[in-house]
Amino acid sequence: MSAPAYLVRGLGASLGGTPILHQIDLELRAGCWTAVVGPNGAGKSTLLRAIAGLLPCSGQVELLGRELHDWPRQQRARALSWLGQNQSAADDLTVHDVAMLGRLPHQSWLAPASPADLAAVERALRQTQAWDWRERALGELSGGERQRVLLARALAVEAQVLLMDEPLANLDPPHQADWLLLVRELVAAGRSVVSVLHEISIALHADELVVMRQGRIAHHGACHEVATQRALEQVFEHRIAIHALAGQWVALPVTSVT
Amino acid sequence: MRLRQAALLGWGLLLLGLLLAALGTCIGSAGFENLLRPLLDASADPAERAMALQIVWEIRLPRTLGAWAAGSLLGLAGALAQGLFRNPLADPYLLGSASGASLGVAIALAAVGGGAGMVGGGSMMNGATFSMLSGSVWVRLGLTGAAFAGAVLAVLLTLALARGVGHTLRLLLAGVIVGVVLGAMTSLVLLFSPDSLQAMQAFMLGTTSFVGWTSWGLMFACWCLCMALAAALARVLDGLSLGEATAQTLGLPLAPLRAALVAVLALATGTAVAQTGLIAFVGLAAPHLVRAVLKVPHRQLMWLASLMGGVLLASADLLARWVIAPQELPVGVVTAALGGGYLLWLMHRRSSGLNAGGLL
Amino acid sequence: MKRWLILLLAGCSLWASASAWALTLPDDRGRPVTLARTPQRIVSLLPSLTEMVCQLDQCQRLVGVDRYSTWPESIRQLPRVGGGLDPNIEAIVALRPDLVLAATSSRAAERLVALGIPVLALEPKTHADVQRVLGKVGQVLGVSDAQKIWRQIDAGVSAAAQSLPPSVRQVRVYFEVNRGPYGAGEASFIGETLARLGARNILPASLGPFPKLNPEYIVRANPDVIMIGERNAEGLLQRPGWQGIRAVREGRVCIFPSAESDLLVRPGPRMADGARLMARCLAEKAPGAAKSDPSPVKPSPKTAGGKA
Repeated sequence: MSAPAYLVRGLGASLGGTPILHQIDLELRAGCWTAVVGPNGAGKSTLLRAIAGLLPCSGQVELLGRELHDWPRQQRARALSWLGQNQSAADDLTVHDVAMLGRLPHQSWLAPASPADLAAVERALRQTQAWDWRERALGELSGGERQRVLLARALAVEAQVLLMDEPLANLDPPHQADWLLLVRELVAAGRSVVSVLHEISIALHADELVVMRQGRIAHHGACHEVATQRALEQVFEHRIAIHALAGQWVALPVTSVT
Repeated sequence: MRLRQAALLGWGLLLLGLLLAALGTCIGSAGFENLLRPLLDASADPAERAMALQIVWEIRLPRTLGAWAAGSLLGLAGALAQGLFRNPLADPYLLGSASGASLGVAIALAAVGGGAGMVGGGSMMNGATFSMLSGSVWVRLGLTGAAFAGAVLAVLLTLALARGVGHTLRLLLAGVIVGVVLGAMTSLVLLFSPDSLQAMQAFMLGTTSFVGWTSWGLMFACWCLCMALAAALARVLDGLSLGEATAQTLGLPLAPLRAALVAVLALATGTAVAQTGLIAFVGLAAPHLVRAVLKVPHRQLMWLASLMGGVLLASADLLARWVIAPQELPVGVVTAALGGGYLLWLMHRRSSGLNAGGLL
Repeated sequence: MKRWLILLLAGCSLWASASAWALTLPDDRGRPVTLARTPQRIVSLLPSLTEMVCQLDQCQRLVGVDRYSTWPESIRQLPRVGGGLDPNIEAIVALRPDLVLAATSSRAAERLVALGIPVLALEPKTHADVQRVLGKVGQVLGVSDAQKIWRQIDAGVSAAAQSLPPSVRQVRVYFEVNRGPYGAGEASFIGETLARLGARNILPASLGPFPKLNPEYIVRANPDVIMIGERNAEGLLQRPGWQGIRAVREGRVCIFPSAESDLLVRPGPRMADGARLMARCLAEKAPGAAKSDPSPVKPSPKTAGGKA
């Protein structure tokens, strides 16, 4: 039995003095896609940042069986890839340059890009259908195209664990579908994916769902379980209803009062 | 493909620099005159040859090369500053180094003057204060030493005020504050030593008048060192362009690397300012001029911005010496006119064009 | 009756003499300045004007000076009212002056005139200026023969010139005023003094009074003597190419201490002293001087051949 992707015990974190996360206990299985959902302000992004090691936090976080802070920095960067929300990026770097930045954890200080790096970048760009415009500057792209490039950057790290915060921002439905396929491939290859998603219907495709509310875990279970779905509806104060449709689960907003 | 373009631009700038260096040996106090001919002509009068040799070798060549070196340092510093602060309007003087150097020079000028113009027992300041300074470490350092020391101390003060390099915004604010405060102190020192005003102005506007082989050697050595460090740190700057959080997850040790960047910035700027005075605009304009031609990540941008800065300052220096020979224009005025004019034209062209992204 | 008549006559003559002093004269800004009586309380904002007032024996009428006036000793006790460019208006007004002498570039003039204080703006720049300004100051102070001072200055300069042996004439001189390098050209008052001493200035009048030069020009002009103030002499020997200049090679550099160099750059009544200083320099250091034993210029103790 391989170590879980993440083992979190008693995690607490605050932002600017205000406590956001309270006593979180979580075990995220390896080789599985976990979606983190919840209403605005539930602390989803904060949770992701905390387990990525970007926030000072109390409690214990183990990544792939080792305490997060015990990892040597570059090793940890190779094992863990993080894609944040609202990323700034230098507009005059080309798409290829940006994706190549994802290889930083694998490169030594003065060495130029190795063939392995170039191959990884090509793979990542092809996976996000951005390979054809690899010479274009980032500033010339639309929001959705930009997001795909940033996604490619996160993929180029070829890490065991991928943490993605709102990866579908600005993506149109076809590309959202592409992303779903991509995650499926990654999971099939044994990677672990944790994503914070606002699109509940997409989140319901995940293997497991972590439902958060006000800085705590309300529920953690498989998507197809009834308990999970009830917990989800409850957390959104029954403003959504989950239905089965064409072999998928969809969450629809409740507009009429029944 | 882009690497090839970058290499092409780099070689082009290098060639241009060499051309300017050659041209610089022909421009002197009589405007344009080719002194290489008597040197190369074996049958020329030996006294004339000796004089030509002295003028070309001891005066014109080190000045032109000095301008090239100083411009290279400033261009490099500008690229580093813009990368560190992720702000296209950043220039190498943002950490207060310019004001620090000015204050150092002002104190040195006042101290060397023995406090003339001071009033003993007057209502403002005690004349004893300045006479205490003369003969002290300021005088021993000389003006270049004072400028360098001032620049470095100002950056240290900025770091202390920002409490380390953790927060870029705080660093920026601290730099601006230090700049303003030290500038005010400079004005105060000049108030009590008005005879230094003219000399101070010469420093503030920049000049390569007294750059000899020693000065050039210092600048070149500094450039080699800074370039090597910057090449290693270029990676950090590219990583930082994705935001600090992502850079951290990519395994970059941000705090020590930022400190190293600030150190390189301070060293490059301090050396250039100490030898040639405050030359505005080269640090700001050089990276933009490169980006207007070719968009490259920091590893190539360092080199190209450095070469571009060198070419910019060398050509400005030539013009400054040529236009009203035997009098000289301050070089800072010419760089502002050249660099600023070109950027204005570029902005005008872009804004009437299609691309609205970015600064240019 | 007779006593009453005498009193009346005395009163009339007093009144007449008082109104005879009612004076209107244009200052250097071209504006007419009217004074009802001889000024008794004078504030001076320019060191050369302070010196002129004292040279005309009217020092006792000064009630305030700027912070840069240093001569003569007696004015050091006077209250300071700021500098020429940043005078303390309140301090000036508090002294209740009836005349303020200022430079033409002073911004205080407008303010003071608006406050009802007459301001005479004068700024001597050349020898002719000094003579003219002396005349105006003398006129304002009611001194009968202000030109006597000018004649003294003139005589002093001529005497200095005559004290020089003919072998020293036609020596080529470079006078550096400030770092930059700024030199004193023929058109400046320093240049005029040098001309009267019989020296030749390497900077022709076409360059203006105080041009900012390319140092190469000085190297090529190869002056016989260099005059420079102590403040600017630091690093002189290390300037690239300057070791070849005759003046540097043969040690013919006059480094004036700060007090002397201040005197030299001030176009005022002490120009004769300035001429004497320059003459002494030429007598000692010029080639062909009687006791031509130029001491090797001691290298500046400050820079050990370092960054130049």
